Amino acid sequence: MIRLENVTKVYEGGSVAAYDVTLDITKGEFVFLVGPSGSGKSTLIRLMLREEPVTRGKVWVAGKDITTLPRWKIPYLRRSVGVVFQDYKLLPNKTVGENVAFALEVLGRPPSVIKDQVEQVLDLVGLADKFGRYPRQLSGGEQQRVSVARSFVNRPPIMLCDEPTGNLDPKTSVGLMKLLDRINRTGTTVVMATHDHAIVDAMKRRVVALEHGKVTRDDETGRYEGGSDN
Amino acid sequence: MLIVAGAVLAVFISLSLAFGALVVNEILRINTLAWQQGVHVIAFLKDPGVDGVPVDAHDQLMTQIRGWEEVEDVRYVDKTGAWLEYQELFAGQEELLDIDPNVLPASARIELVNIDNHGIIKNRLQQNVLVVREVTTAADSIEQLQNLSAVLNVLGLGMAVILGLAAVVLIANTIRLAIYARRDEVSIMKLVGASNWFIRVPFLLEGMVEGVMGAALAVFAVWLGSTNLARAGAGFRLFRLDVGTDWFFRWGVLFLIFGAVAGIVGSMLGLSRYLRDADGSGPEVPTGF
Repeated sequence: MIRLENVTKVYEGGSVAAYDVTLDITKGEFVFLVGPSGSGKSTLIRLMLREEPVTRGKVWVAGKDITTLPRWKIPYLRRSVGVVFQDYKLLPNKTVGENVAFALEVLGRPPSVIKDQVEQVLDLVGLADKFGRYPRQLSGGEQQRVSVARSFVNRPPIMLCDEPTGNLDPKTSVGLMKLLDRINRTGTTVVMATHDHAIVDAMKRRVVALEHGKVTRDDETGRYEGGSDN
Repeated sequence: MLIVAGAVLAVFISLSLAFGALVVNEILRINTLAWQQGVHVIAFLKDPGVDGVPVDAHDQLMTQIRGWEEVEDVRYVDKTGAWLEYQELFAGQEELLDIDPNVLPASARIELVNIDNHGIIKNRLQQNVLVVREVTTAADSIEQLQNLSAVLNVLGLGMAVILGLAAVVLIANTIRLAIYARRDEVSIMKLVGASNWFIRVPFLLEGMVEGVMGAALAVFAVWLGSTNLARAGAGFRLFRLDVGTDWFFRWGVLFLIFGAVAGIVGSMLGLSRYLRDADGSGPEVPTGF
């Protein structure tokens, strides 16, 4: 589903965010990218989304080499990838329903389809009763669930999550992880960058550890600090 | 809202100046043309019945001039006509009007088929010393006017072009500010897979509306100024200040179209850099690591 082949990313000024990273993520996997701040977790997410060009190497997403993808095709890539960020990235002047519908509007879906799909996904994330609320009227956890709903409303085969629990308390984080786990069980591949030990240890999923842009560990069912439960 | 008002105002000012320059240019063109088509040679005549000038000398000369093939038209202005003209020319300047009307000579106002023949006609008239007192031609003045008009034409059109480009740049900057103010919305649009055109269209429409509004205000303001100017100059016989409704309508429509195009082009310029940098296709980092 996602393949990184000898990927290197050097930012202007010489800062190395990823160095010779090779990674295979198969369909339906749930993968944690872990490591300290500046280890390159977010950069890998950005490279998979073609928010940044690679310096060297290849990135395949859903069978396509996105490093050579023409600029006009990038929106099509992003339509097959849902994204969740630490800061939610919701539009403050739109209601919950409008924020979620926005992802379908840009795809040119008809209003009747949008209405049905938005209601379904808000039901899935447990926010059906908050349809008309504005983001400022919601808690952090609820805002993040709206963000998940928006990224999943289009039923993408891949979801990329960059520190989605970074702004949430432990209890709310567990709720969000249950939601992501539920989405993953529908066959959606989930890649999540995090430095939340408790979540990684509790989920018992594949863990890819990064340090200074290099992959230092890749455990099939790992823990944050290493050492497999299996 | 303030950004939009600023853009409309900026387009209004630059297009008003550009349109104003065109109006001035047109006024000059109309008047140059009028003068080119007017009187080219004037023969001031001696008074009949004085100093041996026959009483019917003026009539004879006029008949003679009408027979010349180089002459398109000739008009006789008698002493009374000359006095009326003088009074009109120096209206309100009492000290200049306090003269003996009799000193003003009658004249033959000649329009030539081809202005290049002014020398031949002047010589021919000067040979008739019995009747002709003095001959003046407008050739030099017309030539100077033509030169001046050509320079003003270039300046006016150049100014219109520069100010038109300024309008495009101003709109581009405004759209850049607008997109900066809505950068979060645009980045979210890109994240959920909106195409560049989906993002562009609202901004292009915004730029187009700003351009048309600014142009409409500019056309209206220049029309108002031009109409008042024409009304104020309605009494002038030598200089025309009215460019005509047809001309104004034609150029007004062209300016509205220009405003719309300038708005769209400005928006495209304002957006291009942002959309290029925001999709991961921005400047490549030097390789060689």
